[in-house]
Amino acid sequence: MQEAEVRAKLRAFITKELIRNASYPLDDAEGVCSSGLIDSFALAEIGVFAEQEFGVYIPDPDLTVAKMDTLNLMVARILRDNR
Amino acid sequence: MDFPQIGILLAAAALYVLFLPARWRPTFLMVGSVVGLFWLQPTLPVRWLDYTLPALTLVIVALCWRLTLAPDARVTRADWLALALTAGIAALLLLPRYIELPPALEITSRPPPAEITIPLVAGLSIAGMLLARLASGTRRGLLAGVFVLAGLFVLLKFSPLTTTLAGLARSTTGQDAALASPVDLGWLGFSYIAFRLIHTLRDRQTGILPALGFRDYLSYVIFTPALVAGPIDRAENHGAAVAGLAEARLRDPARITTALGRIAVGLFKKFVIADTLAIFSLGPLTASQADGAGATWVLLYAYAFRLFFDFSGYTDIAIGIGLLFGVQLPENFDRPYLKQNLTIFWQSWHKSLSDWGRFYIYSPLSRALLKRKPKPGNYVIIFSATAATFIVIGLWHGITLPFLLWGAWHALGLFAHKLWTDRTRAWYRGLSDGRRRAWHVVGTLLTFHFVALGWVWFALPDIGQGLRVFAALFGIGGGA
Repeated sequence: MQEAEVRAKLRAFITKELIRNASYPLDDAEGVCSSGLIDSFALAEIGVFAEQEFGVYIPDPDLTVAKMDTLNLMVARILRDNR
Repeated sequence: MDFPQIGILLAAAALYVLFLPARWRPTFLMVGSVVGLFWLQPTLPVRWLDYTLPALTLVIVALCWRLTLAPDARVTRADWLALALTAGIAALLLLPRYIELPPALEITSRPPPAEITIPLVAGLSIAGMLLARLASGTRRGLLAGVFVLAGLFVLLKFSPLTTTLAGLARSTTGQDAALASPVDLGWLGFSYIAFRLIHTLRDRQTGILPALGFRDYLSYVIFTPALVAGPIDRAENHGAAVAGLAEARLRDPARITTALGRIAVGLFKKFVIADTLAIFSLGPLTASQADGAGATWVLLYAYAFRLFFDFSGYTDIAIGIGLLFGVQLPENFDRPYLKQNLTIFWQSWHKSLSDWGRFYIYSPLSRALLKRKPKPGNYVIIFSATAATFIVIGLWHGITLPFLLWGAWHALGLFAHKLWTDRTRAWYRGLSDGRRRAWHVVGTLLTFHFVALGWVWFALPDIGQGLRVFAALFGIGGGA
């Protein structure tokens, strides 16, 4: 799986389904949880999305603000188990 | 832990830092924690139980460790040595039954006869280890481990069942079963131990538990500074800390100063501030004596701050002592009463417990419901997961109606906050800095009072009195 593909799909999911603003200019290093854009329930939704879309199971203790706050962190986590 | 016990731990830490060869530190942590497990266990009314319960803890930890081994992993020579050392220490602690020791060395006050204990514990351990070996690393085995621990938890926390069990224990030792009470089964640290064990079983299931030998697994689960009141560390943190112990610069003056400073702050918070507030904080007796709304509010504020200073002071002491031994325990509090909403409050009050709830209840339950077909609405999922998490957190303190209400109180508060933030997010983002600061002050006051009112359920074991306190706080009725 290509990094660019994961990043694009994840960005689309976050802006459209979680922030509910498809045109939101989400930066790769922007703290989506720490800035209040999404909450801890959205992290569970990202966990399910990663599982269903990329076939990567992210264990619950890894679905934290510290480990999943930015698009960069999320992409790296998904690719870690997909290589 | 009381003052003398903290003093003894500090003396042990001094010997550990100054004289123990660095390569022996991990083994010392295990040995010290095993001795600490028996030493800190309070004397119980049922004969032999203050030895039997810590011994059972060791058996349970050994079985869970065996269960968390991968199916293809082998028990190494080092593991066998650590198991033998643990069994040897437990056997040595039976000695006070046979020879008179100076009081300072009497770690166990009334151990049972060795001819009963050793075959019983050995038989239980061998049978359990064989069973755990068959089931180790398998989903079924790990789930069974979680259910057994949860069942034991219910037995120990639900007073009718605890009393029945205590009656059985009394009958076994020839004592009067009619006098049985939950106090008989005061199993030191079991709540924390059970949650640590469940974390390792679940993390093995999801494949993220690091490989831990028996020595480090045991010292993680029963690490003396965190045994009585947490925090609930994570196994990977403890494993990493122990792995670095041989090279750790424990005599570093800055490290020692930080640790001792932390302990001093903790002692002051716990034994000066909290104990002073305890004199006039909310409780069954003070509530019945309070005259009017003002006095009841004073009791409630005193209770809220007492609880914070007592618990966070204890955490400071645990973190400071842990640091002296080279183990950085997680922070448990981050100025919780200064948070502007309930969600952030729960990210800063007893953090290691709320993290545990999020990792092992909220998140897996949310994900399971999100994957259901047809998928329930998001708010249904959020409410179900929040309620399940906080009811478990409430009942973790004791399976009683007041603790259930306290958990439900916070679940409802968190759900209401979620609804509120979803509807006001755009409005909030449009506020000027000044208005946002003002809103934070309002939010902080509201959050603190919501939390403080929730403590009414926590402080009073009787629902009727709790309701009367609520009435008194708002000037209704004639007092509690």
